[in-house]
Amino acid sequence: MAQVERFSYDNAIVRKFAYATIIFGVVGILVGLIAALQLVFPTLNLGIPYTTFGRIRPLHTNAAIFAFVGNGIFMGVYYSLQRLLKTRMFSKGLSEFHFWGWQAIILAAAITLPLGITSAKEYAELEWPIDLAIAAVWVAFGINMFGTILKRREQHLYVAIWFYIATWVTVTVLHIGNNLELPVHLWKSYPVFAGVQDALIQWWYGHNAVAFFLTTPYLGLMYYYLPKAANRPVYSYKLSIIHFWALIFIYIWAGPHHLLYTSLPDWAQSLGTVFSVMLIAPSWGGMLNGLLTLRGAWDRVRQDPILKFMVVAVTAYGMSTFEGPMLSIKSVNAISHYTDWTIGHVHIGTLGWNGFLTFGILYWLIPRLFNTKLHSLKLANAHFWIGTLGILFYAIPLYWAGWTQSLMWKQFTPDGFLQYGNFLETVTQIIPMYGLRALGGTLYVAGYFVMVYNLIKTIQAGSFIGDEAAEAPPASTWAAHHGKEHWHRWIERRPVQMLIAATIAILIGGMVEIFPMAMIDDQVPRIESVTPYTPLELEGRDIYIREGCLGCHSQMVRPFRSETERYGEYSKSGEFIYDRPFLWGSKRTGPDLHRVGGKYPHSWHYNHMYEPQSTSPGSIMPPYPWLLRDELNTSNTAAKIRALQTLGTPYPEGYDQIAVEDLQKQAKIVADNLRKDGIDDDKLEEKEIIAVIAYLQRLGTDIKPKPQAGN
Amino acid sequence: MFKHILESAGNINWMAISALITFAVIFMVSVVLVFKHNPAYIDRMASMPLDDSYPVNSENDNHEK
Ligand code: HEC
Repeated sequence: MAQVERFSYDNAIVRKFAYATIIFGVVGILVGLIAALQLVFPTLNLGIPYTTFGRIRPLHTNAAIFAFVGNGIFMGVYYSLQRLLKTRMFSKGLSEFHFWGWQAIILAAAITLPLGITSAKEYAELEWPIDLAIAAVWVAFGINMFGTILKRREQHLYVAIWFYIATWVTVTVLHIGNNLELPVHLWKSYPVFAGVQDALIQWWYGHNAVAFFLTTPYLGLMYYYLPKAANRPVYSYKLSIIHFWALIFIYIWAGPHHLLYTSLPDWAQSLGTVFSVMLIAPSWGGMLNGLLTLRGAWDRVRQDPILKFMVVAVTAYGMSTFEGPMLSIKSVNAISHYTDWTIGHVHIGTLGWNGFLTFGILYWLIPRLFNTKLHSLKLANAHFWIGTLGILFYAIPLYWAGWTQSLMWKQFTPDGFLQYGNFLETVTQIIPMYGLRALGGTLYVAGYFVMVYNLIKTIQAGSFIGDEAAEAPPASTWAAHHGKEHWHRWIERRPVQMLIAATIAILIGGMVEIFPMAMIDDQVPRIESVTPYTPLELEGRDIYIREGCLGCHSQMVRPFRSETERYGEYSKSGEFIYDRPFLWGSKRTGPDLHRVGGKYPHSWHYNHMYEPQSTSPGSIMPPYPWLLRDELNTSNTAAKIRALQTLGTPYPEGYDQIAVEDLQKQAKIVADNLRKDGIDDDKLEEKEIIAVIAYLQRLGTDIKPKPQAGN
Repeated sequence: MFKHILESAGNINWMAISALITFAVIFMVSVVLVFKHNPAYIDRMASMPLDDSYPVNSENDNHEK
C-alpha cells in the first residue's frame, strides 16, 4: 500500500482564468457604472447608437455573468477539481481550447451587443453563430471535466463536484432550449416559439441561468474554498447532500415567478410560486452549512479578510434566497415587479454572493499559485470595507426607489383618478436614488482596484508554480476496498449515475411546465382580430429589438386597476401569437408600451425619438437621432417573411415577393401623415423612424375597438 | 395521443400534485441514502478539501495573522 504515484497539477490554466476573471470583473462593473450614470445624466448616452443604455445594459449583464462570474467559475473549478480528484486535468488541449474559446466568445459579445445584434432574450442575447460557439466550448469543458473525473485517483466524488456536474448538465439543456431559433441571416434569427410560449421558455432559462450559472457552481466553490480558507471540515456533509438534491430539483420549476400577473396561464404561475417558496429550505440549508463551517473560528473571521469576504458572500446568498421566494409571492410581486426592487435584489446576489466569494477565492488562490504571501492584508481589509459599503449604497437606494415608484404608480386620488397620471413624475422622483446607486457602484469599483493593485504586488513578489507536484495512491488500489466489484466498473459508474440522476432531476420540472404550454394550442386562446405584423411594422419591431428598448419598456399590462387606468385594457395571451421574440420586458424605467398604439400622433413620436426632452421635459430616455437619419434596410425583409412563414406566421403564399412593395406603401402613408404635421425631410419615407412609428402605432391596437365618430 | 391525455386533464392540478409527490420521493430517497452512509465515510468526505498531499499548502493553510 505504500505505492504512490507522482504527478502534477496544472496551475497555468488556473492562472489564465484568474487573470480573465480579474480583467472582466473591471470591465463588467465599469460598463454597469456607465449604464447607472446614464439614468442620472442621459447625455452620457453620447448621442451615438453604440453607447446608448439599451445596448449597454445587455453588455453589462453579459460581462458580469458570463465574463466575470464565468471565468471565476472556471478558475475555481480547474483548481479544485484536480485536487479533489488527485489528478491532472484530462487534456491540456481542451483546457486551452476552453480558455481561448470562452474569451473569443466574450470578445464577440463585446462587439455584437453594442452593434445592436441581439436576440432580445435577457441573458441569452447573443445571436445564433455565437450560441453555436458557446455550445462547442461548453462541450469541450464537459469532456475535459468528465475525462478528469474518469481518470481520477480519488474514489469518491466530493459534493463540490456534484454541483459542477449539475451545472454542466443544466446549462447545456438551458442553452439549447432557449436558443432554438431560425436564422434569417448571419446576425439575425427568430425564435421557434412565439409570445407566451417564448416568454415561458425565456424565463425558465433566465431564472435557471441565475440558478445554474450564478448559484450552483458557486455553491460548489463555497464547499471547497470555505473549508480551505477556514481550515475546517464542512459542518455537515449529510446536509450538503440533501442541499444538493433538493436544490437542483426545486430550482428548475421556479421560472414562472418572473411572469406573475402576465398572460401566462394561472396554473403555470402557481407552480412557479409554490416551488419558489419551497426553495428557501435548501437554500438556507446551504447557507447555514457554509456559516456553521466557521463555528469556533469566528475569532479568525475578525482578522482574516478572506474569511470576511466569504462570510458576507454566504450571508448575501442567504439574503437573496430569502428575498427571492418573497418576491415570488403574488401580492409582493405585484409591488416589486418592473421596479428597481428587482435590480436591488439581483445585485445583492451578484455583488455580494458572486463578487465577494470571487474576491475571497482570489485572495486565497493567487498567493498559492505564486508560492508567496498576500502582499497586504491591510489593503484586503480596506477592500472588504469599501466593497461592503458599496453594496449598501447600491442596494438601499434601489429598494427605496422601487418602493417609492411602485406606490406612486398605484396611488389614486380620492376621486378615483391616478395621482401621478404622468409616468415621468414617478421617474424624476427617484433620480436622486439613482445618483446614490451610482455612488455605490463607484465605491465597489474603487475597492476592486485596491484588490487589483494588491494582487499585482503579490504576483510580482512571488514565483509562479506552473506544475505543482503531488502524489497519491493510484486508482488500482481501490479494488482492495471493494473486493466484490471490479474497480473500473466502479469508477465509471458513479459519475455517470450522478450525471443521469441530476439530468432527470432537472428535466422533470422543465417538462411539466413547458410541454403542455408548447403542445396544447388551447393554452393560448386565439383572438380573431389579431393579425401578423406588416413588413414595415416588423422592421420597426426589429429596430426596437436592436436598440434594446425593452431594457426600459415593458409590453405587458397587468390586470390591476392602476395599470388599466394608466395604459388601457390588460394584455391577453392571444395578442402575442405573432411575437417572435416576445418583448414583455422586465423593467419599467419608462412606461409600458403595449397599448401605446394610437395614443399620440405620429409627429409626437418623431419628435420624441429625436429628443425625448422636447416632448417630455426631464425625461431620461436616450435620444435616437440616427433613426431619423439612417435609411431603413429592406434587403432582408423578404427573408424575414419567409423565415416567419416557416415558423407558422400565416402570411399569404408568395408574400415575401411583394413584402417590400407593401412596406413602401405603408411608409408613404406614415410619411404623408408626418408632413401634414409640418415635419419634412429628404426621403422621409425611407428612414428608420418611419418603421419604428408604424410599429409603435400598431402596438396593442388589435383588440382596441376602432374609433367611432363622436366618441 | 399524449396531447390528448394532456388536454383531457382539464385543470392542471394533477401536475402540481405529481410535482409535489416527485419532490417528496426525491427528498426522502436522498435523506435515506444520506443516513445509510457510515460515519467514517461522512467524516472523510467532510474534510476532503483539506486533504492536500503537497507540502506547500499545508504550511500555508494556517493563515498569517
Ligand atoms: C433609459 C431607458 C429608456 C430607453 C432605453 C428607452 N426609453 Fe422610451 N421612455 C423612457 C422614459 C423614462 C419615458 C417617459 C418619459 C418620456 O416620455 O420620454 C419613455 C417614454 C417613451 C414613450 C412614450 C410612452 C407614453 O406612453 O408616453 C415611447 C413611445 C418610448 N419611450 C419609446 C421608446 C423606444 C421606441 C425606445 C427604443 C428605441 C425607447 N423608448 C427606449 C425610457 C427609455
